[in-house]
Amino acid sequence: MNATRPQLRPVSLRKEGDEFLLIEWSDGHVSRHTWRNLRSNCPCASCREERQRPPDPFHILKPHEIPRGPLRPVAMKPVGYYAYTIAWSDGHSTGIYTFDLLRSLCECPQCVNNSTTQSPPGSTSSFMPQS
Amino acid sequence: MQQKIDLPGVRHIVAVASAKGGVGKSTVTANLALALKAQGHRVGLMDADIYGPSLPQMLGVTTDEWDRTPEPVEKYGVKLMSMGLLIDPDQAAAMRGPMIHKYLQAFLTQFQWGELDFLLVDMPPGTGDAQMSLAQLVPVTGAVVVTLPQQVSVAVVRRGLAMFQTVRVPVLGLIENMSYFVADDGKRYYIFGQGGGERIARETGIPFLGSIPIDPRITESGDRGDPIVHAEPNSSIAQTYLQIAQRMKAELDRCAREVAPLPELDL
Repeated sequence: MNATRPQLRPVSLRKEGDEFLLIEWSDGHVSRHTWRNLRSNCPCASCREERQRPPDPFHILKPHEIPRGPLRPVAMKPVGYYAYTIAWSDGHSTGIYTFDLLRSLCECPQCVNNSTTQSPPGSTSSFMPQS
Repeated sequence: MQQKIDLPGVRHIVAVASAKGGVGKSTVTANLALALKAQGHRVGLMDADIYGPSLPQMLGVTTDEWDRTPEPVEKYGVKLMSMGLLIDPDQAAAMRGPMIHKYLQAFLTQFQWGELDFLLVDMPPGTGDAQMSLAQLVPVTGAVVVTLPQQVSVAVVRRGLAMFQTVRVPVLGLIENMSYFVADDGKRYYIFGQGGGERIARETGIPFLGSIPIDPRITESGDRGDPIVHAEPNSSIAQTYLQIAQRMKAELDRCAREVAPLPELDL
């Protein structure tokens, strides 16, 4: 509960090829993310709602839903001292990825193994909007 | 919307908060600011309570004292900006969340705060727009949380503490306000119960900065626009505020977190 204890934070962000983001944390861990996974776990209210909706087999794509080229991150900027926003090439940028969320989305082999015994990220109190 | 603001001249931004309303946040903020000023610091006061600004009245500043320049108003050596200076007393700031964000942004960026050791931010009650905006807009050094001794207040304050934890703003300490009343017979009466503030401090590991009694002089001096720390600097209440300020600064030094800028990616 005490918020005064020293806390985990990213010390460097690195892009690896077109596909990966590497975040080095103050505890030495380097978390590995695919941009695709970050985008599909966007914590903003609209994306959460979209993910919770049952699939619609008769959905007809509207022109703006057809991606122009592959999805790319455009920028990743800190929010206060607790989170990041990622601006995407499709114009979306409302997700606020807290440090905790980013850490839980790590796809490095070690974290993936650990998380198979735990609940998937975002499953706790997922009814709460995050931003 | 999350445009980070740089305030290079401001050393510490300290939010004075409590999720619950009516615990005396503004009274505490005004007196704490004057205590820090009395200890030789350069202090600014920003009233983030857009809907119910009360700092101008507590410091005896009226709307016509602000000359529509980007300079905050100065009173008792403390710089002040508040919604209460921008609109007439019989006007209401009827607006939704995004406007609160804009006003806070404007208070931070469009006014020349200059060189300050402390910018105290008087937060509105709750864990809503103003709180989230402040945490997202500026690197808040820490928060001071005000509570009453009663359980109802303690329970809501707990939620406020959880919010600061979520947005990673260190809580520098708890102040218990309206702790007791000293009657003419010299006896202390614990009108709102006893020890609630210290209990929650113990349970959460957050430092307890001090208790402030119920005293008509505090209310009267606030209503008069001359807070007690300035009006009666030798009173025991003013001394308590000076001690609280001292403890808060010690805690700031102790937990001064690494404010190394966070890395960013521009692609």
